[in-house]
Formats: sequence, structure tokens, C-alpha cells
Amino acid sequence: MSNLGHTCWLCLLWSHYQHCPIEIEWHGIWFVTGTFDYDLVVIGGGSGGLACSKEAAQLGQKVAVLDYVEPSVKGTKWGIGGTCVNVGCIPKKLMHQAALLGTALKDAQKYGWQIPGPISHDWSTMAEAVQNHVRSLNWGHRVQLQDKEVKYLNVKGIFFLFFMNCCFTQLKGNIVIATGGRPKYPTHIPGAVEHGITSDDIFWLKESPGKTLVVGASYVALECAGFLTGIGLETTVMVRSIPLRGFDQQMAGLVTDYMEAYGTKFSWRSVPKSVDKLSSGVLQVTWTDEQTGKDQRDTFDSVLWAVGRAPETKTLGLEKVGVKLNKESGKILVAADESTSVPNIYAFGDIGEGRPELTPTAIKAGKLLARRLAGRTNELMNYDNVATTVFTPLEYGCVGLSEEEAESRHGKDSIEVYHAFYKPLEFTVAERDASQCYIKVVCKRGGDQRILGLHFTGPNAGEVTQGFAMGFQCGATLTHLKETVGIHPTCAEELTKVNVSKRSGLDATVTGC
Amino acid sequence: MSHYEEVKVHGYDEFCKAVSERKGNDIFAYFSDCVKAEPVVRGVMSHLPEGSVFFYCQVGERPYWKDPNNEFKKTLKLSGVPTLIRYGTPQKLVEEECFKADLVRMMFTED
Repeated sequence: MSNLGHTCWLCLLWSHYQHCPIEIEWHGIWFVTGTFDYDLVVIGGGSGGLACSKEAAQLGQKVAVLDYVEPSVKGTKWGIGGTCVNVGCIPKKLMHQAALLGTALKDAQKYGWQIPGPISHDWSTMAEAVQNHVRSLNWGHRVQLQDKEVKYLNVKGIFFLFFMNCCFTQLKGNIVIATGGRPKYPTHIPGAVEHGITSDDIFWLKESPGKTLVVGASYVALECAGFLTGIGLETTVMVRSIPLRGFDQQMAGLVTDYMEAYGTKFSWRSVPKSVDKLSSGVLQVTWTDEQTGKDQRDTFDSVLWAVGRAPETKTLGLEKVGVKLNKESGKILVAADESTSVPNIYAFGDIGEGRPELTPTAIKAGKLLARRLAGRTNELMNYDNVATTVFTPLEYGCVGLSEEEAESRHGKDSIEVYHAFYKPLEFTVAERDASQCYIKVVCKRGGDQRILGLHFTGPNAGEVTQGFAMGFQCGATLTHLKETVGIHPTCAEELTKVNVSKRSGLDATVTGC
Repeated sequence: MSHYEEVKVHGYDEFCKAVSERKGNDIFAYFSDCVKAEPVVRGVMSHLPEGSVFFYCQVGERPYWKDPNNEFKKTLKLSGVPTLIRYGTPQKLVEEECFKADLVRMMFTED
């Protein structure tokens, strides 16, 4: 017990209430005393939060996890598991697969399959199957949490600072914030909020979005536009400047070139001005073509905003307890051990400033944090050398630096870029264009030619890149790559055969076996 | 007088018929190869939602169950016995999970 006087105590309140905490001050006391039984309270039941809480529980800690989904503007909500399970990676990959199967069906005829009649896609069938799978994952997490004795509360966590002359025990455990982010709406565009949807909504639509305008050029925008095109919907991507900012720009261009060749329309250098709903129910979008300065207009059934994500920190009340945020991004400032500016409060996953917005890094960081807090290790999360894949119609996998980044860090004369345009064997019989299937290995020039970055566009890019990522992690050099015998016939083997450098100016097209 | 209906069925066809007669109800089904009732599940049945239906379904003899093409495996996608499902939802508990009272209670009481 401690007497407070003018000492401030930080307490975590579990509250169903969304309004100012002052209203719940007296209710707060009842909730607060429950908190102190826990060694760890995790706010956020997503990829990171669940991994952290389950790991901590397995190490014998008494853990509670709070998960609450604020419904989207359109009213979409979902169960436990966070963005990845409900409105990200999982439904995205399944819908990407649906689109790929459509292309495969077209190819199938060249391989001898007799397909009677034209092929069409039914959104509702796909959506129901995807949503059912997501629900089974929600359930799976609930069973795991219960089984591992992690207390789960479907409530919001709100920090509340007390100045009270009352008897309280000091918080003994740790609090971990893993609340992630949500899609941004461009609120300055008239009609954007009322008439548009985001990635929070697209996977839960019961009916087809129809002719869709996707605004943005992030991987979210391109992946969504990609599968919408693939299932047969007329889709346009509206890009203000460059696609896939932060990624290797040559590779980004190959990705968008492929999408354009396969039917996705692109409106380059365009900025939306307004969205109006017409009496027929369709949405009329007005935008400015920055090249001509003129305004353009077209109608769509749906407008999907994919213009960035914002951290979920607003309703936490972090400023009340002094957790420092990055002013621009709004994300929580964290140290290498995920600690924040306030002792006993940690933050990781998408919410952490400077952290990759990826599920595997959140999971690993969460597990390591749990182990450190339980005193079992001192190991910090290594955020370097993380491989990723963009699941656009032509997939793009990469690990390490982009060519631009390598040039910037080492100087153009100190790097050697090996590349190859290859053709997947499966494309031959299917008579598919492979102009954008490409490999690039960025190396240090001279010496053992350590690999600085590895880039691959082609089918199953994620599967291809994963194995090479391990080599990268081990400090692979070009010599290692060349000493590796390829598996034949695959696309991945082309990485082991790469030998034409950009500097040589020679034709990089792979010919024959 | 309990607040739920308990129905004992034997085999896939009997199960399907009984379920179709009760469309619209919250249906829970416990599939087992045992004749005797499962004490853990029995002990939690007071937590079943009001107006729900609880099926105790015997899947049949061992040779029938071992056949990978039996209807329970093929159509209801059961992977083992016992299995407890909430019909029409992805909620299910398989084998050892059925013997944990807190998990069974969670299925009966959650949405």
C-alpha cells in the first residue's frame, strides 16, 4: 500500500467506455485493482500481441491481453488476431490465390483441359470461404489463449493518470502496447469518408465491389488492385507519384508494367479532388491530372483508399502517462529493446517508430520481449535482413538493399549488379508474356562480392525468396551463389546462374538451358 | 426441465435429418465413438445457451470410422473423435480439447 499525496500513479484501466475517463473515475477503482495481479498486460491482440502474451504465459507469467476492434467507418469489425488475420495478409493472400487460379484456368486450356463455356467469378462464394477461414483462425486463437491461461478481454485499454488520496499498490508488472495501425482516410477530399472504403472493408464485403478505383501506390493498393483485376473486375489504380515507395524502383516498375499488361488501368500523376454519389448509386470521382493540369472525371462502383496507415494511439491516452511519440508519424518512440520513454511500458510491432510493418517481425519481437521480461534472455530483436514479398499478380520478393540504397550507401563504383530476364517454363506452353520476369543480385564490387540485395519478380516469389533469405542472413557472397547448383527446371535456379552485370551492358536475357 | 434440447443420434443420415428439422436453432454437436456420455462435457452443459440444441452423435463402429471416405470425415470434415462443434460456425474442439471444461464452457458461452 502507498499513500499518494502528490505522487502520480499510472494505472491501466480496462474500460468499455469510450468517453473521457473522468466519467469512469469511480468505476475505475474497481477495474484497477484487478490489474495488479498480472505480470504482463498486453494491449492489442494482433500478430505481435498474441505471440508476446502466449510466450509469456508459457514462461509462467500471469498474462492478460486486451483486444478491441474499433469498427471501420463503414462499420466493418472482426475478431481476435489483428490486421494480419482479419484484414491483411491472410484474406489478401487467399484472394490473390483466387485471382491466380483465374489465370491458371485460362492457361489450362493450352495444356489440354477442356473447359466448356466462358469462365466467370462469383465474389460471394470467394468472400464467404475467405471469411470462414478467418473466423476459424479467430477461434483458434481463442482456444490457444484459453489453453495457455492468458486472460482475454474484449475491451479497450486506456491509460489514466490518477492524482488521488487513496490506497493503491504500485503497478508491479509490465505493460506492452501492440495496437498496430489502421488505414488512413484522405479526410481533406470531399466525399472520401462518406463514399470510400479501405482495406478494412474490402475483405468483408458480402457483394462484389464492382468497377473499382484504388487510390494509392503502396503494396496494399497494388495487391488489392491486382486481385480485383484477376477476378475479372474493371480496376483502376490512381497514383500520385511513384509506385511502391521505399522498394527498388526498377522492380516496382516491372510490377506495375505487368499489371498494366494484364488489364489493370493506371492513372499516373493523378490526385483525387472529390467523390460524389450519383442518383444511380455509382460514385463519380473527379481528379487532377498533374501533367496536364486538367481535371478528369469517371464513375466507379467502389473507391478503395490505400493511402497509408496510421498508428492506433489516439484512444490510448498515452500523453497522459508520458509515453513519447514521433510527432510526424504518431508512432511510439522505442529503443532497441522495445522500451518506451516510460519505465515498465513497452511497444512493438506496427506501432513502433521505425519498425517494419510486418507480421513475422512483430511475432519474433514479441516472443523475444516476453522472454526478456521474464528474465530468460538478453537477446534483442534483429530487424536487419528481413525478406518480404509483394503479392501482386506478378509477385516480387526481395531481401536486403534496393539498388538505389546500395548505391547511396556504398557508391555506384563499389557495387556490381548482376541481372537476368528469364522465362518461367510454365509460361511457354501457356503462351504467356514473361517480359517482366527478372532477377537482380546487388553485390559489393571486388573481394568476395558479398550480396547486398536480392530481387526476384516471378511466380511464387515468396517461396523462392525465403530460402535465399537464409543465405543472405549467413552473409552469402556471389561466389556462394555461383557455387550453388540449381534445381531444374525452376525459376529459382536462375538466381544461381546469374552472370551478366549491368556494368557490362550485355544482353541479360537468359537463353536456353 | 433444461433450457436446451438434447438429441441422441446414431450415424450420419440420422444426424443430418435431425439437424434439418431444427434449422434456425443454435446447434452444438458432440461426435463420439463411445457409448457412454462424456463427463467433462456433461458437467458444463448447464452453460448452453437458452433454446439451443445439443446433439450427442455416435459415429458408428470402428471400421466405419477408420474408412477415410466416411461421411463424417468427408462432409463434416471431422478429423478425430471426440469432436465438439457449433454447427454452422468454425468453432470446434477436437479430441483432448473436448476434455477441458474451460474450453467447452468457452464454446457454449461465447458468440
